[in-house]
Amino acid sequence: MLRRLAAISALMSLALAAMPARSARRPRYGGTLRAELGASVASLDPDVTAATPEEAAAKAQIDALIFDHRDSDEALVGAAGSGAFRVTTFESGKRAVLAANEEFREGRPFVDGVEIAMGRSAHERLVDLELSKTDLTEIAPQDARRAAEQGVRVSASQPDELLALVFVSANVGSKAAGSASARPTGQAARQIAAQVRGAGSEQAMGQALSLAIDRVAIVNFILQKTGEPAGGLLPQWSSGTAFLFPAAAPSAADLTHAKELWKQIAPSGPLVLGYDSADPLEQSVAERIVVNAKEAGMAVRAQAMPVAGAGAGKSRDAGLPAGHVDANLVRWRMTSSLPDVALKDFLARIYAGPLAGVEAGAFPETASPEDMYKQQRAVLNTYRVLPLVWLPQAYGLSARVRDWKVPGPGENWPLADVWLDTETQTPTPTGVQ
Amino acid sequence: MRPSCGLPLAIRVGVLTILLGFFSGVAPRESHAQATSQLPKSWNDAVSKLADEFSAVVSPAPVTLSVNNISALDASNAGAIETAVREQLQRHSFSFAPENSATAQSVVRLHLSLSESADEYVWVIQILSDQSDGNAVPVIIVTAPKADFAHAGAAAQSISLEKRFVWKQAELFLDFAFLKDATSAELTLLVLGTNSLTTYKPVGSRWQFSHTSAIPEATPPSRDPQGTINLKEGKISLKGFECVGEPDLAGALQCKASTAGRRLGGPAVTIPGLPNSLGTTIPERCHDEYVSLFTAENDWTQSDSIRAYLAKGVPLPVFPAGNTLEFDGPVMALHTDPEGNSTRAVVHNLKTGEYEAYIATATCGN
Repeated sequence: MLRRLAAISALMSLALAAMPARSARRPRYGGTLRAELGASVASLDPDVTAATPEEAAAKAQIDALIFDHRDSDEALVGAAGSGAFRVTTFESGKRAVLAANEEFREGRPFVDGVEIAMGRSAHERLVDLELSKTDLTEIAPQDARRAAEQGVRVSASQPDELLALVFVSANVGSKAAGSASARPTGQAARQIAAQVRGAGSEQAMGQALSLAIDRVAIVNFILQKTGEPAGGLLPQWSSGTAFLFPAAAPSAADLTHAKELWKQIAPSGPLVLGYDSADPLEQSVAERIVVNAKEAGMAVRAQAMPVAGAGAGKSRDAGLPAGHVDANLVRWRMTSSLPDVALKDFLARIYAGPLAGVEAGAFPETASPEDMYKQQRAVLNTYRVLPLVWLPQAYGLSARVRDWKVPGPGENWPLADVWLDTETQTPTPTGVQ
Repeated sequence: MRPSCGLPLAIRVGVLTILLGFFSGVAPRESHAQATSQLPKSWNDAVSKLADEFSAVVSPAPVTLSVNNISALDASNAGAIETAVREQLQRHSFSFAPENSATAQSVVRLHLSLSESADEYVWVIQILSDQSDGNAVPVIIVTAPKADFAHAGAAAQSISLEKRFVWKQAELFLDFAFLKDATSAELTLLVLGTNSLTTYKPVGSRWQFSHTSAIPEATPPSRDPQGTINLKEGKISLKGFECVGEPDLAGALQCKASTAGRRLGGPAVTIPGLPNSLGTTIPERCHDEYVSLFTAENDWTQSDSIRAYLAKGVPLPVFPAGNTLEFDGPVMALHTDPEGNSTRAVVHNLKTGEYEAYIATATCGN
């Protein structure tokens, strides 16, 4: 018996002493990752322009997988197939099958291939996740919490997409100055006076609306707490100064102030707020703003608008047709996690859109937090851009997906780094990660 | 193409015999312990700048100061910063009135916010006003670098772990080592990358680049490269290659293809009580118990930690002991010295994106 114990002891000692650096989390090669997209990509030809922003965003993700990389001007570098994957099958708008590039410069991806199903509705994607028919798909931020509660493994980024209300340059001035310009003046001096009055009224209209909007309620009820109220043009996690731009729920004093401002403006009709007809989140937010405005005695009407062209990049820009609306809802995704880079991009959009014609302050090459604060303050004080909420990017993952790192601003799906754990049956964390 | 879960037998058995012997106590110690009453110089500079810029736009007056810490700074550091700000403002002739004093209504109310951005601390001082639109002026903003102020665990524990930061760089590296010159006793830092070995010489308190020796890289490159520096045997082992140096690893390298060791079949050894993660056993025992160091069971997208586990011989189980070393990213590699009580850890810091080298030392308590 003692001899047996000694033998076991020796074996255990040997096992402990000679224990290698072992790990079940070392990535493994093999398997096919199944992904689903809401958008349909018609063509992977770089020369073919996407029809919608969603298609452009989906195409950009696939491009990032099959081309070597993008240069500093965001142009694709290398031939198709020089990236981590190469396309083996492509059915326009329906399906793409990618195979691992054995010779990829940064090393062969862990998975053997990726199968991408396109044109799947949000409901179909969630059902497929729950039935383990897919490994990866995007989830709308307003659906993320409910999905997590239903047991879906959800991975959410830092909030990096700004949902904002921007005034359309040509309309709001005339709307706000409606009563003044309707008068028969006939004299240039009186017209100028009316324009000046209009500009002031325009600012007052934006301020009144900003005071009336309950951003906290939008986050809590529409987004189910997936997101953050936005008061500035950069999120707190990136800039560290978002707290300087309050986004609290309107107080009674705020509503009173908003009413006073609205009375002073005396607009000629309701303010028309346009939103993307294909975006349920924008619709919900627009309808909420209408309610908030009504509580402050303001007349605002939400107007669904068809989506125009692909716009710039993956974010819906001011793509809604002007002329029918006084203000639009826009979704702008940060292009970088670096606050100065992201802000510079936002400012370029703002000074080309709602603040077109307004002289922008010089943006230093290396902007300090104080520089960025002042730039934001200058924009926000015009009340032509009203930040509403910060949205994260949310993804649903199957239990076998490992080493998925949710892409940050300017990043793409890290599918070359992802591996599939088909052997270890570890409990899968649920909830929003 | 597919790597096996099993490691070559030569590597598994050779863990005890091929690792380094010069680590204990030879690396320059970088102090992480910070007295809460004394700020690092960079933080003191930031506080001075904050007070300087504030005093440039506001005339000296009685003030009150409220503080809100919305960063990851702990209470002691936040308190130390507040104290430093108060001292600096007093140097600029600002006097402090009690928050609830009778004169509080007439004094200037200052608010200090300790915030943080993606990569640095952001400290803001503003004058509180009744304006609700955030247009209070002035707003003075300064930044300060984030630093590691991790403290070691309690000394009363049976075994305590300490981590010692050694090196960091943007590119992935697989292992690192300190090579001691036999005659001059001068240290050289070796950093093993995926296709090179870089040496650094000490200059003052810093490491200065000396030279780089190329190492053949597996073709196509692996997405999970692994490699080890073996000072005792004077060689470097990478997947498919072995390199030796002339006269040592700091000199010219000669590499040749290595024959792959036989791979162990069957399931890996599983010892009850140990996590299913990266781990290794250090040679020195603690009260005649085996000491193993293991990482947490997270994947490469999460923060990580190293914890000690003691095995009381037979019968098992193994149980965790002492404090936990926390890291801001996954421990990518863990290499044990053949002697002594330390391991070398390569950590991918997810906050900075850099790869960091640490020596984790296990000290047996009474």
